[in-house]
Amino acid sequence: MLAPGDLRPLVEVCDLVVSYGAVRAVDGVTISVAPGEVLGIVGPNGAGKSSLLAAVGGQLRPTSGQIRLDGVDVTKLPPHRRARRGVVRTFQDTSEFGRLTVFENLLVAGLGMHGASLYAATVGARAQARRTATAAERAAELLARFELEPMRDTYAMELSGGQRRLVEVMRGLMREPKLMLLDEPTVGVAPHLSEQLRREYRRIAASGVAVLMIEHVLEVVEEVSDRVVVMDNGSVIAEGTYDQVMQSQAVREAYLG
Amino acid sequence: MSFSSLDFYLATVVVIFGVDVLSAWGLNLQYGYAGIPNFSFIVFQAAGAYTAAILTLGPMTATSGQTYVAGTHVPFPVALLAAVAAGAALSAVIGVFAMKRMRADYQAAILLILALILNQFIVTDTSLFNGTSGLANVSRPLGSLVNPSTTGWQWAYAALVWAICAVVLFAVQRLSRSSWGRALRAQRDHDAAAAALGCNVVALKMQVFVIGGAIAGLSGGLLVFYLQAFNTASWGYEETLAIFVSILIGGVANNWGVILGTFLVQIVFVEVPNLLPQFGYIGLVDALEWVVIGLLWMAAIALRPQGVIPERRVRAERFGLPALRRALPAATAAAAPGQQGAHEERLGATGGASRR
Amino acid sequence: MSSVVVESIGFGIVDASIISIGAMGFSLQFGLTNVFNIAYGTVLTLGAFAAYLAEQWGVVGWYDVLIGAGVGVIATWLIGKGILATFARRNLGLFELITVSLAVELVVQYSVDAADGEQLFSYSFDQGRALRFLGMVFTVTEVEIIGVAVGAFVLLECLLRLTKTGKALRAVAEEPRLARACGIPTSRIVNVAWVLSGALAGVAGVVYIINSLTVSAFTGTDFLPLLLAAAILGRAGSVSGAVVASLAIGIATQLVAAVGGTGYSTIAGFGILVLVLLARPGGVTSGLALKTEVTL
Ligand SMILES: Nc1ncnc2c1ncn2[C@@H]1O[C@H](COP(=O)(O)OP(=O)(O)O)[C@@H](O)[C@H]1O
Ligand SMILES: [Mg+2]
Repeated sequence: MLAPGDLRPLVEVCDLVVSYGAVRAVDGVTISVAPGEVLGIVGPNGAGKSSLLAAVGGQLRPTSGQIRLDGVDVTKLPPHRRARRGVVRTFQDTSEFGRLTVFENLLVAGLGMHGASLYAATVGARAQARRTATAAERAAELLARFELEPMRDTYAMELSGGQRRLVEVMRGLMREPKLMLLDEPTVGVAPHLSEQLRREYRRIAASGVAVLMIEHVLEVVEEVSDRVVVMDNGSVIAEGTYDQVMQSQAVREAYLG
Repeated sequence: MSFSSLDFYLATVVVIFGVDVLSAWGLNLQYGYAGIPNFSFIVFQAAGAYTAAILTLGPMTATSGQTYVAGTHVPFPVALLAAVAAGAALSAVIGVFAMKRMRADYQAAILLILALILNQFIVTDTSLFNGTSGLANVSRPLGSLVNPSTTGWQWAYAALVWAICAVVLFAVQRLSRSSWGRALRAQRDHDAAAAALGCNVVALKMQVFVIGGAIAGLSGGLLVFYLQAFNTASWGYEETLAIFVSILIGGVANNWGVILGTFLVQIVFVEVPNLLPQFGYIGLVDALEWVVIGLLWMAAIALRPQGVIPERRVRAERFGLPALRRALPAATAAAAPGQQGAHEERLGATGGASRR
Repeated sequence: MSSVVVESIGFGIVDASIISIGAMGFSLQFGLTNVFNIAYGTVLTLGAFAAYLAEQWGVVGWYDVLIGAGVGVIATWLIGKGILATFARRNLGLFELITVSLAVELVVQYSVDAADGEQLFSYSFDQGRALRFLGMVFTVTEVEIIGVAVGAFVLLECLLRLTKTGKALRAVAEEPRLARACGIPTSRIVNVAWVLSGALAGVAGVVYIINSLTVSAFTGTDFLPLLLAAAILGRAGSVSGAVVASLAIGIATQLVAAVGGTGYSTIAGFGILVLVLLARPGGVTSGLALKTEVTL
């Protein structure tokens, strides 16, 4: 059987540096994720995990280094252009559109760039109506799959923390993603819901999506990830399967010392 | 007060109300839907007013008694369209740098200071629009249809203003309820997430900034043809604050609520005191009005930041989904928070729903 | 250099002294709280009015500076801890907070305006004889104003570098993330910043009236943009930065005034603030949410 890691990587990050003024939050990181693979990133607070993810998603412009998506250099692309190439993400502090209903949150995701187009909303209204109908159907499916149907007309700001995470993931699934970036996706989620989310992440990866996941809870990392990268002080200090990484001396020092 | 002067006054209030409602819709698109803190909104109204004035005043002559640029005679509809274009064009220029991604308070401060700068500039360079004295003797349009010196003309003009309001309301509602309006609200709530879902946030803001500016220009054009005069005191930065308060009181991102807010603030608080017998020194009433506006503003933010008539919830039924069954307690979860608990338990979610 | 330029530099240094007193205060306050407090301008106005009233009561000369400082502290405390902190506790965004401070400004400014009958009040202060220095002309009073600014700067720097509270304050102002991580108790330090900035705003108001000899309800508001520009150009939280930026802004606006008149010098001053804000869009560096923590 072909292991996911053997495929040509979907995203390649080469020697990436991200700095905030004098602080180098990410200091020369090289990683890659293949389609269908879940790469877990662990590391202490302030290790630079979120900054790495933001550079891949386009929220932060890296100081140096390169990010390739499907072999194409996207380092200089703004986030909305990367989104159009199949990158979706969740944020460490949930990013729901608070004064939109859950259903509208999904519609915005489903329409994407067409939703933001003034032309599509006015002159191209007919094509837009078709797209909206398709998106609404997909939204209805997702609402059923995530058991959120009763909340579909609820403002997202009225949801609980766990439900907001669900909405973020569902928004990603509205978009047929190629690469999914998850920043601490189980924080604030109750065990029962977290289990459902973990199953979903595996299911998403199984459908051929590359998943880059930052996670604190080691159980979740062990269960969901194919491979694990450990970061400390902006650098990768260990890489391999969960078991390999946990054996590593460097990791023990970073966590205990 | 005699009947004819009351008639005159009423017609004026109706026209001013229409102009203020137009402005409030323009600013509501920018602030209510898109979250742009446009503290220089009134500048775009001024751009429309000055443009409409100079385009109908005719070439400047030695006997004009006022200095201005580019005076010509164009028909009323053309002048009005030019006012719209002026508001839009100035917005486009300012938007290029003011719509960049930045802290909301910095953006507000930049736009506020721009309003001060542009006003000061017109005061200083009197060759443009006659400085502090401003432009006067703008002739009333459509004089061939109704005698411009009668209250009949005033009422006719009021009808025209409100007819235009109806058209603008239709357009604004269509836009704000469209997928584009939804994207605007999405980026208002979380711009990074909207961008991460494929929305070009800067372009969205730029578009709504220009559309709002066009509406401001239109309101300025309509205003100047009624008042026949316009000067730098007509567009102090405080005027924008009054429009903001109308929106905050009436309903953020609710175009009907904004009509109510404008009525309460611009008519009840600003216009009606003009009817009262004069007391104190000249200017005391104005000063007190601004004190009240400031207090109202703080009260609105403290008590009901979403306005008296809040944003309308867009239900999924509009998109062809079956209505939620009423029997399901969670269907009314948002309306009755007390019932939410049971359902949350089933979903096993944690975390507070108190975050704004 | 032509004599006009040299003279303008002289005027600019005097302006810069007044600006810097206020800018140091705003810089401390903004650096610590992150609240873009527009109502700071009215504190200046109130300080100036305090000096005016003190003179009416027979308290003349440099004593007024102390009175101004006291009034400034009280006014800032009421605005900051009384009003802004109450609103900040409601979890409002940055826009709502700047809005509240603007509303406070509106209320105070027009209350003063309504109470004083919309007048420009004159103040008398003997300006002393003219002194020449490197082609620049200063009155004795102007030299004293420069002295007040330098004194305030030195005192503040000593406080920030030598005392324990001061060191903590500087740490929080310059690296709020780090300081919070190190567990520096910020609320007490924020209180100190409010008091210091209030005193400085009051003093700035008094020095303003001593220099210009007039005051109105709008004095502080008109002066505020220059002060904000200096504080932000000099990097919020940095006292010495504020002083250097004040010098640049004071001299630049006076040079514009010499060439184009006072109208254009006002425009130039405001323009500098716009450029400074555009150049330091703040918070964007995080790239994620434009969230900035507010402490009050
Ligand atoms: N907006 C910012 N400005 C300055 N420093 C930041 C900012 N965001 C993060 N940092 C710093 O960068 C480092 C890495 O942060 P982050 O990427 O959030 O780490 P992690 O997600 O691993 O906890 C930390 O030292 C943090 O203090
Ligand atoms: Mg993180």
